[in-house]
Amino acid sequence: MAACLLLGGCATSSLVLLPDDEGHQGSVAVLEAGGKPTDAVIAQGNSRTKLGDPTPASQPLGDKGLKAQEAALLTSLPPPAKSFVLYFAQGTVTPAPESQAVLVALRSEIASRSGPQVEVTGHTDTVGSEEDNDRLSQQRAEEVLNWLAGQGIDRSLMSAVGRGERELKEPTVDNIGSATNRRVEVIVR
Amino acid sequence: MRRVPFTLGLMALFMASPALSEIARIKQSSGTAFVERNAQQLKPAPGLQLLAGDRLVTGKDGRMSLTFVDNTRFAVGPNSRISVSEFQYDRTRQKGSFVTQVDRGSLAVVSGKIAKSDRDAMKVRTPNTLLGVRGTKFIIEVPE
Repeated sequence: MAACLLLGGCATSSLVLLPDDEGHQGSVAVLEAGGKPTDAVIAQGNSRTKLGDPTPASQPLGDKGLKAQEAALLTSLPPPAKSFVLYFAQGTVTPAPESQAVLVALRSEIASRSGPQVEVTGHTDTVGSEEDNDRLSQQRAEEVLNWLAGQGIDRSLMSAVGRGERELKEPTVDNIGSATNRRVEVIVR
Repeated sequence: MRRVPFTLGLMALFMASPALSEIARIKQSSGTAFVERNAQQLKPAPGLQLLAGDRLVTGKDGRMSLTFVDNTRFAVGPNSRISVSEFQYDRTRQKGSFVTQVDRGSLAVVSGKIAKSDRDAMKVRTPNTLLGVRGTKFIIEVPE
């Protein structure tokens, strides 16, 4: 084994490229191989590529598909993040009526996960400056985090983030009030 | 059911939210597996918060899975040695940089927001290559 490492590897590294869970296909660029820059991009989905050559050749996974240990590895990936949207009466932490059901679903999702993380994210509409909205959304996220803690969600799982006006749910021009945009998104990982 | 270690309990007193330097949390682990941090070996209990620079190590029956704060997900296979050599993430702007080093073993990755934020913002290094992750799902295997 040590001899293989000294020689730069007797068995080569490999990369299996797969479509993502929504069926989209991304790629992996080989920026350097053997210390030298390359232009190679691995873009073929459901392929296996031996790394190390400046021009790596991808082979389709074919009928045999993934090796048993590769399939086992994919099964052990954690679940994807899940997002919940909460709406509140303007300027308060009084949840809108539909948010009560969301809170129940949120609690259930947190309980179903091992080692959960909960990110409380504040969003604003486009009224006001970017800086003001960054600050407002951060403040809002912290208020809602405190409210969630009061509702029994473990504080050590949670963090608060302000996204300002960067992620409009309903596209608007600048300085348009929108209740749809003024929301708090709780992301469970 | 949740046992909060004494030190975490102390930290909770000083902070309103978990350590902002947290980059990921362990979700599951089994067999021989640990997180190496500054020459200490930490048990990868579910919920353990990881920091940039941490190394993930598994024995021949070991496995670990974790999710990063940018939604990147990792599954570490047996006989692995993987470190997060760089992780910076601005949660407001959803931009950052992320470099993982796979010395040996196997790692399944579903990339998150950092990979999407900029071309090659997420990279993976193996003993003889440097890869740029352009938003996707893949498995990297480095034999011993």
